[in-house]
Amino acid sequence: MSAQHYLLRNRDVEGIDRIEVYEANRGYAALRQALKDYQPDELVAMVKKSGLRGRGGAGFPTGMKWGFLPNDGRSRYLVVNSDEAEPGTFKDRELIEENPHQLVEGIIISSYATRASEAYIYCRGEFLRGAEQLKRAVKEAYDHGYLGKNILGTDYSLELKVYRGAGAYICGEESALLESLEGKRGNPRLKPPFPAVAGLYGGPTVVNNVETICNLPPLVTYGPEWYTSMGTEKSPGLKIMSVSGAVKRPGNYEIPLATPLRTLIEEYAGGMLPGRTVKAVIPGGSSVPLLMPDQLDTPLDYESVVKAGSMLGSGGCIVLDDRVCMVGATARLVKFYREESCGKCTPCREGTYWMTDVLERIEYGQGQLSDLDLLADVADNIAGKCFCPLGDASLGVLVSALKHFRHEFEAHVADHGCPMGARLYDTVNH
Amino acid sequence: MIRLTIDGQEVTVPQGTMIVDAAAKLGVDVPIYCYHQALGPLGACRMCLVEVEKMPKLATACTTAVSEGMVVRTSGPAVDKGRRGVLEFLLINHPLDCPVCDKGGECFLQDYTFEYGPGGGRFQEPKIEKVKDGPINPFVLIDQERCVLCQRCVRFMREYVGEEQLLLEGRGVETVVTTVEHEPATSQFTGNVIDLCPVGALLSAPYHHKGRPWNIEREESVCPHCPVGCTSKITAREGHVIRMEGRPIPDREWGWLCDRGRFGYDFGYHPDRLATSIVKGKENTAAQATRQVAEWLKTVVDQEGGRGVGFIIGGGHTTEEAYQLRRFAAEVIGTDQLAISRTEAGYLPRGLNGTFDDVKQADTVVLLGSDPYDTVPVVHLKLRDRLLHYPALRVIGLGPLPLTRDTLPGLDVLVPPGQESLALALAMAAQWPQNSDVQTLVGSLKEFELQGVTAQTLVQLGQYLQGAEHLVLLWDGKEPEMAMVLGVLARLREKPTAVLPTFGPANWRGYEHAGFSPRFEDLTAVLEKARDGEIKILMVFGADLLREYPNRQLVESAFNQVEYLVVEGILPPQGAQHVDALLPGAAWAEVYGTYINMEARLQVAMAGVQPPGQARPIKTYVNTWARMLMKPLNWDEEWDPFDDDSGDLLPFEPVPDHVVALAMPPEAVGPMTLVTGAFIWESGQPSEILVPRVPQFPGRINPAEVKDMGLSTKRGHIMVSQGSESIVVAVTADPQVPKGILWVPQGLFGTNHLIEGTVTISGVTEEVTV
Ligand SMILES: Cc1cc2nc3c(=O)[nH]c(=O)nc-3n(C[C@H](O)[C@H](O)[C@H](O)COP(=O)(O)O)c2cc1C
Ligand code: SF4
Ligand code: SF4
Ligand code: SF4
Ligand code: FES
Repeated sequence: MSAQHYLLRNRDVEGIDRIEVYEANRGYAALRQALKDYQPDELVAMVKKSGLRGRGGAGFPTGMKWGFLPNDGRSRYLVVNSDEAEPGTFKDRELIEENPHQLVEGIIISSYATRASEAYIYCRGEFLRGAEQLKRAVKEAYDHGYLGKNILGTDYSLELKVYRGAGAYICGEESALLESLEGKRGNPRLKPPFPAVAGLYGGPTVVNNVETICNLPPLVTYGPEWYTSMGTEKSPGLKIMSVSGAVKRPGNYEIPLATPLRTLIEEYAGGMLPGRTVKAVIPGGSSVPLLMPDQLDTPLDYESVVKAGSMLGSGGCIVLDDRVCMVGATARLVKFYREESCGKCTPCREGTYWMTDVLERIEYGQGQLSDLDLLADVADNIAGKCFCPLGDASLGVLVSALKHFRHEFEAHVADHGCPMGARLYDTVNH
Repeated sequence: MIRLTIDGQEVTVPQGTMIVDAAAKLGVDVPIYCYHQALGPLGACRMCLVEVEKMPKLATACTTAVSEGMVVRTSGPAVDKGRRGVLEFLLINHPLDCPVCDKGGECFLQDYTFEYGPGGGRFQEPKIEKVKDGPINPFVLIDQERCVLCQRCVRFMREYVGEEQLLLEGRGVETVVTTVEHEPATSQFTGNVIDLCPVGALLSAPYHHKGRPWNIEREESVCPHCPVGCTSKITAREGHVIRMEGRPIPDREWGWLCDRGRFGYDFGYHPDRLATSIVKGKENTAAQATRQVAEWLKTVVDQEGGRGVGFIIGGGHTTEEAYQLRRFAAEVIGTDQLAISRTEAGYLPRGLNGTFDDVKQADTVVLLGSDPYDTVPVVHLKLRDRLLHYPALRVIGLGPLPLTRDTLPGLDVLVPPGQESLALALAMAAQWPQNSDVQTLVGSLKEFELQGVTAQTLVQLGQYLQGAEHLVLLWDGKEPEMAMVLGVLARLREKPTAVLPTFGPANWRGYEHAGFSPRFEDLTAVLEKARDGEIKILMVFGADLLREYPNRQLVESAFNQVEYLVVEGILPPQGAQHVDALLPGAAWAEVYGTYINMEARLQVAMAGVQPPGQARPIKTYVNTWARMLMKPLNWDEEWDPFDDDSGDLLPFEPVPDHVVALAMPPEAVGPMTLVTGAFIWESGQPSEILVPRVPQFPGRINPAEVKDMGLSTKRGHIMVSQGSESIVVAVTADPQVPKGILWVPQGLFGTNHLIEGTVTISGVTEEVTV
């Protein structure tokens, strides 16, 4: 367990959300250093060297993404994805609510590095406090000369605006986010072109996750070697994991990548509640397949989790214990995707609706054995055929639950209901 | 060029081509819903899944661009299962009410399900319920349950037309297509979404429950309502035209129609449609009426020779009919007094006439007095298409009113009414001061100053005119001298310069091709001869002269003076009391024939139905008269209006290069000037279906001009006077209209009681609130 936090510094410093406290604790020092000591390209090189990967879910190398921006003289945008709506993931929320200046500082450094002249924070609609904290922090940063014209007396200028979403998970997908930011219906765009080439208002755009950007101030302060000293070669550095479920201390934990899942659950989160055992773990937010109890030693880095059959995703680690009905849990999660499907493409729109109905029917005891094959086949007709990753995301838990917990589904059919007596809506939240 | 293999066949296509189009080139059909070439890829429906070697997943053929050496398979177990899956998904919430659907039998959901779909459904859950037969506007209905959410309709309106009146509402499986704010869609182009919709979700309200593919007949046709002559198909059932659809022509036409054309097919069934002959106010048999007219003709010809007879053609006749009439006039009657009913005084020489291909290549478009949205709507869409492909398209409006729009933005150069050709010539003089033709043109304009246009604007305009790589000019035909100015411009530029005439009648080029004079002067001459007693019998075909001719007095005195006025048509003309014999004619869709559009392009329209009652095509009339006059016409050799060399275009003719000085305009005009112009809702034949959409207050005037009349922000009626004549005009107060201008659709409200120019206006009491 790290004694000192780098991303969750709010845990160590009381009141760091206020600019005086932030400044008093080395706040905006990294920015001064970046503007003074580095040319933008040197910062990009540093991020490349650090091996920092996107924390929004896909884990794409951040330095490489910045390098895709074409050098064609058009003005560039930096957009920060703060739409965090993946069930089980709540790390960005803490970052923006408790330590907004860290994000603002990270944005200014990243914008300077990518030569962006306008930046936006797209904040999830439901994050009322987060949006207020951000707006206040942005205003303070303007007042203190960190934003606006000629930042800290340099010739670099940046405008930063906070934009609130209207409550759609799909607007976390970067191209749907850009549509929404432009005031349009939040549907994903066709790629290519990628945002780096044609993003916001058609201009070259970098989209990064909140946590990704929050890595910038410590990275500038401590240097890339510090970053690569943690984690693995391909997955270096720090990651915030959101742990939920029947653990003693659910919450966010900043871990060096490649920390074993078992350590996260047993040490960071204090272990399971008394009398509970792990039934399965969703390690990377609701969109990824289950890990089974015999896989608890999996190191939490991008490659190892993939090797174990799942994904690190956004780091939302949902621990399902022995009292959870897998049918109910699966039905809830699939229903989430049904509700959040944007409706653009056929398999996701219709398939998530169909699967939800069948799952709920099984859950309520109206299922047939043939429904299990039907579910698997409907899932197969969705898999790899959707316009954006949301469709596939709806299948992660379902497909692995059907594989590992088929007996629970069969029992629901045989018993005409849940053998555990679990009821709708209280299956996950014990 | 990129070489790839599709289903084992090799094909070479340009870079950037999507697999679906490369496949089409090989004749390999990939099923699609959301993709449409005019709209580009979207990737929504996932119907077009194909297998591409080395790609881990199935790819959508509409969004995947070809690459060198690519190997594509459009069938096989994975593709077949993928397609089956997509179709099954599309059907789970589909109401399966094909037996009562207008598109049953012409639906891509039915077709693809039959070809690729699952044998049966596995879905047992309740279906989502949505709106059925909800109105988009009075012409278009939506059945949201049948919608496959391909977004063609939404994207067509938003991206292609540029009028965002349809949208997606709701999310996921609850998503529906509806109108903005749930208000009726008002665009001129809404009907196209019916053709675009691949399923039975968007339906034609007037066609609703009227026909099924097995009890209708479809014929290729051409829309008769304006000079665009859009390619169309008519649907007939039991002798009635009950629908018109667009007819795409590969590499040439998308098959768009405007709503005025698409839904205005019912004019043949207008309650006033002529179906019986009327002689001297009394209904008569066809035989007696024809004989009577033959006797009048004989009397006149015996006394005066052919000179005593004048022919005027208008309306919606075919080129062949005009030709038959011309031969009758020349060979049986012996007259060359053959004119076309014109509303505008201008004429465009064939040699300057461009085609829609020019629009596809244009970098600069000049609108001379004509806003295509209101005069030739589908040309507006063609310009939109060009704008989408070439965003730098420069659009310049030149006229007394702004002619550009939000959907076709550009620069408006406002000039006093009647001074467009002067403005153009002055701009040319600024750019080509040394040219002798230009010097001749502006020779008398030394003292002249164009009101409201700065010298700088003229210089800029001149630069645009010279700089344009491919110049297209739309011309309303109002100022006859414009043709000469355009001729000089075309010679000066040495780069493509194409003029598209937006004036009517729709088939005037056809009448010209058949031997009628298209010149306004010749029409006036015929009317004057009638007024002066030289022409004793005036034979009018399809024209409604009291409405169409700009000087109503001349027509009235001609009608009063002639001994016999014979009018053929499909609806009674104005001033029926003057008419000695009213003969019912055959309408569009009732005769086979050729129409020549504003591109000088010949297009054939088939006949789909029979004319009603005694209504007959012109050929029947002229044959009967010729026999009665003992000079039967010989039709052994059929006339082919198509030229062997120029194909479906009229043969090219050199542009006359005669140049004279433009005259100084009359002294400054008064405080209010009447300007009239073509307006699509009021040109062509009247339709009952269209009534709910025809603007009731089409006149336009600046709000400040009518502020004291109590309708500054509203609509209402105003009195317009000139000398002793007065008319009442229904106007909308429109801030776009410059002060001092009253614009009224040509021919409406009796505008031709007045001469275009200075008028006075005053309020009339009744006011209508919006
Ligand atoms: C359905 C869906 C939802 C997403 N939601 C988020 C989100 O809430 N926050 C986020 O940072 N990335 C989200 N992403 C990933 C973004 O598309 C994008 O990859 C990310 O913002 C890039 O930032 P990064 O490279 O810093 O991770 C989502 C992706 C999908 C497909
Ligand atoms: S998979 Fe398709 S329907 Fe689902 S969210 Fe993405 S684009 Fe929308
Ligand atoms: S109404 Fe028709 S065209 Fe429009 S989205 Fe639905 S299926 Fe497509
Ligand atoms: S533009 Fe003219 S020809 Fe075309 S559909 Fe409309 S009215 Fe008919
Ligand atoms: S046609 Fe290709 S996705 Fe719709």
